Amino acid sequence: MTTALRDALPECERLARQEGLAAGLAAAVADTEVAATAPGRYAAVPEAGLSADAPVRRHRLADHEGVVFLATPGTAPHPPAALVDVGRRLAAARIGLVRRLLDQAVEHLTGRVSGDEPLIRKQLVTGAIADALTEIELLRVQVHGQDDPGALADAHDRLDDLGWEVLKLFGAAGYIADHPARALHVSVLVGNTWVVRDGGQP
Amino acid sequence: MIELDARLRAIRDTHREAAADLRARALAIDTDPDAMAEHLDSPTYALIRESSIPAAHRAPDAAARPDRGTCLESIVGLVELFQGDVATLLACPSPALAGVFVELLGDEEQKARFYGRLADGQTWSCFAMSEEAAGNDATAMTSRLTPDGAGGWLLHGAKRYIGHGARAGVGVVFARTGRSALSIRAVLVELPLPGWHAERLEMVGLRGAYLSELRFDGVPIPGDALLGQHLPVTRRGIWGAMTTFHNMRMQLAAAAVGTSLAMAEYVAEHRKTAAGLPLVLARAEAARQLVYQAAAQLDVTPERGYLSSVAKLGATRLATDIARWAGAALGPAGLVEHPLLEKWTRDVRALEFMDGTSNIQRLHIARGHQSGHADD
Repeated sequence: MTTALRDALPECERLARQEGLAAGLAAAVADTEVAATAPGRYAAVPEAGLSADAPVRRHRLADHEGVVFLATPGTAPHPPAALVDVGRRLAAARIGLVRRLLDQAVEHLTGRVSGDEPLIRKQLVTGAIADALTEIELLRVQVHGQDDPGALADAHDRLDDLGWEVLKLFGAAGYIADHPARALHVSVLVGNTWVVRDGGQP
Repeated sequence: MIELDARLRAIRDTHREAAADLRARALAIDTDPDAMAEHLDSPTYALIRESSIPAAHRAPDAAARPDRGTCLESIVGLVELFQGDVATLLACPSPALAGVFVELLGDEEQKARFYGRLADGQTWSCFAMSEEAAGNDATAMTSRLTPDGAGGWLLHGAKRYIGHGARAGVGVVFARTGRSALSIRAVLVELPLPGWHAERLEMVGLRGAYLSELRFDGVPIPGDALLGQHLPVTRRGIWGAMTTFHNMRMQLAAAAVGTSLAMAEYVAEHRKTAAGLPLVLARAEAARQLVYQAAAQLDVTPERGYLSSVAKLGATRLATDIARWAGAALGPAGLVEHPLLEKWTRDVRALEFMDGTSNIQRLHIARGHQSGHADD
């Protein structure tokens, strides 16, 4: 791993955790020639800084997060080596986003009572939080330590699942479009545009 | 194994034809759930509405159709319709869940009023139970009915995540008249009413369901709107709700199976060689069979919810797994290039939060096992 990438990974995670998805994505694609790197016909990028006439496709939820999908020629099935570095920085950002929302979920569950007991004390809920933290720790090590495209695709698959597990901790409130957990839905779309998978496992 | 007989195959085939029409309307309704005018007069919506209205309350030209049958018959048809599009089906003005409850607890005059309001095909119904603070615990609800001193009631409180709440013309609202679980009652409301405030919630997906929040500020309720007065005390409120929820749970499991099949077939159509496709189809078909079996079980023992909880938990989990697989199977940016598939990946997540989260179903299942229902 280059020194630049080693420094960038924690910074991407920090930015997403502190400022949100768009900030983490901006750091992940910084200094990247998007059109020459993105594997598919669209690539998620921060809306900020794009020219007004850039060819983008919009998404109702992504709009709220300041993310748009820039039309690109697509480099798959032979993407440049630089795509792995973007994918790793993006994975780090997605880890930071999950941690941001997990902290908010714990706060939400601490204040919510069921049967005279805060939800945070229910065993199934406690288990879900512990599982999420364990997965975060594992994923961080995998993203920092592996440059294999298969391992990277696996990390993004698991980030999709992990985001959903954290999102469920908010209950139905996490399914409202103006709730902060919306970023976890958008994170799936962002990952979908920057990762080459071999079809994924059912 | 549930083998479909000739009657069930006919139900399946009729509904399969209607599914294509639902799918053709899906993206428009997802984009703007308020723009329903172009859909309301469709033959598909007429089929859905009429199949859920008892023959005695239907328009004369539709009265000859067979009446709503068993839970299994209903689920066989719904899996096909949901394969078209869940949100578009839920967007259809129909008796829906409120109808199941009115059938159980309404007297003849109340049923006539309820179905009469729905006869034009332009009027939605709502089933208002969930509250923000009470979550899935119906017995913790705080909305209340207080006597108005003239034989009627005043309704106070609030509800959240109520399908069509902000555009319903008729509905069932739950509230308590006292502190005990037996004091939870339901009233039939015909809207508009003074003191009834409603607003649609902007949801991530399943937008055709038009989930809304409601606030009641002394809504006047006539005495004859109280449902279940002609029934024994123990069968007036929560009992009917629980029976309705067993039915709803089956519908949600059917929605998960229908969308799973739809996503798998969509991928098969656009990428025939997608890795894992045969396994995904096999799992979706297994879930369909489980949902059929749970529906057949509910026809025999309607008060027993073990297998319907298993079906809901298993089918919703499978649907979210298949959504992730499908997003990957179409390659980079596949979800951006295929908005219908992307919509389904959002829609299936809503099923997790309706009629009991997965954790609630886990508790039901464990209790059912302790009661010996896993060995029946």
